[in-house]
Amino acid sequence: MSKSIEYTYFPGCTIPFRLPHFELTMREVLRRLDVELVTDEGHTCCPEPTTFPGVDVEAWFTIGARNLAVSESSSRDTMALCSGCFHTLSIVKHTLQSDEDIRERVNKRLKKVGLQATGKVSVKNILHVLHEDVGLKRIAKEITRPLKGLSIATHYGCHLVRPVEATNMDDAENPRWLEDLITVVGAEPVEYEDKMACCGAPIGPSDEPKSFKITAQKLQKIRDAGADAIVLICPTCYTQLEMQQRKAVEYLDPDFSMPVLYLGEMLALAMGLTDLVMTNSKRYHRVKIQPLLEKLGGDQE
Amino acid sequence: MTASGISSDLEFRNWVLQQPEGKTLLRCYQCGRCTAACPIAAIDEAFNPRLFLEKLILADESLAQEQLVWTCLTCEQCEVRCPEHVKIPEILVLAKVRGLTFGNTPQTALDRAKAILSEGRTILVSEPMLKTRDKMGLPQLGNPPVDQLGKILKELGTVEQVESAESIYGGDGDE
Repeated sequence: MSKSIEYTYFPGCTIPFRLPHFELTMREVLRRLDVELVTDEGHTCCPEPTTFPGVDVEAWFTIGARNLAVSESSSRDTMALCSGCFHTLSIVKHTLQSDEDIRERVNKRLKKVGLQATGKVSVKNILHVLHEDVGLKRIAKEITRPLKGLSIATHYGCHLVRPVEATNMDDAENPRWLEDLITVVGAEPVEYEDKMACCGAPIGPSDEPKSFKITAQKLQKIRDAGADAIVLICPTCYTQLEMQQRKAVEYLDPDFSMPVLYLGEMLALAMGLTDLVMTNSKRYHRVKIQPLLEKLGGDQE
Repeated sequence: MTASGISSDLEFRNWVLQQPEGKTLLRCYQCGRCTAACPIAAIDEAFNPRLFLEKLILADESLAQEQLVWTCLTCEQCEVRCPEHVKIPEILVLAKVRGLTFGNTPQTALDRAKAILSEGRTILVSEPMLKTRDKMGLPQLGNPPVDQLGKILKELGTVEQVESAESIYGGDGDE
């Protein structure tokens, strides 16, 4: 039988403590695909990429490099489920490798705690793991409950994808890996205008109305394309598009709502792990996802 | 447009050019594709990435005091569309950093930074959060080695700077 693949799991802050259903569903999905996640308690916050660099960019590089140095103590690739963590780690890695000056500066500081960062560790997001390492064929074997009849719009989110020289994604403006996963679970990927537009979340701290206007534009385009649901990866995008959707639709149509699934939830549903998803759906979904199951029909509650 | 009231500070400009990707600023020839690609510029004409770059090229430090720089989404659409691959979002980050001493940092950004430096996380982990993980059968993650952050950042003085920084925008970013 196939051997299991191990990754160092970089947990970050938001997923493990605010949206643990992300980790719960994805861990179960990965277990079925013979993927093991190993944590290292030496990691800290990545640090998050939307505000911290604007406070002290040199500290951002330094803390990011410390996290990479911790990862470099094992031969495993590092995988972050959170797009913010992935973004920080992949940019810091890329910069350490391409900019000798900063590599030297940062390593002088890391030496004080006995660490060294080269930037050679491989930093991956969940699409690298699922699409590239595990592969669509292997995933297809685990699909017992195809999501036939559902039209699903992708929301990649900015920080997972750009800049491609650091993220190693397939394309900056029209990535396709998430669409491929929607097809594998038996649903229909929906094409819509400005697919790569931002969710609006990063400017919440400085200009909330503008932040939700951007979100509303996004939801409108997804609605116009006739999607039943959105699938996404990033916990910050989830907070904006799902947990705060009601605030955003004030700028669009207060009666409108659109179910949002985390990628792990979509895969879990298609692998027949309905209970695992639905047990937590009330607590972590403000827009009901039950209608999606009803549309699929059959025996599910 | 920039003839009068310009505050020229070559030291700031030189610092920008020394930062990782900072030199890409010099490739900008002011075509404006960044602004055409920007989703914020599309809903607020005061937000103009091309003009931000112009100010930096002309060593106009006033950019660091504009609250607008914090309404950059960091979505990087501008950089993708830039024919010269100027690292515009990274360059705007440098203006934000420079603005810290002027109080031009949203309170939320300061609070997050404080949490990261003191807890090693953006959020304070509570007992119920740990219980929820336990109930879900998720492994405990331990406590981040915060003491190490203090040591590696000592030379930068980050902790002290963030502690003493004040935001002129108060609690929530509404004007």
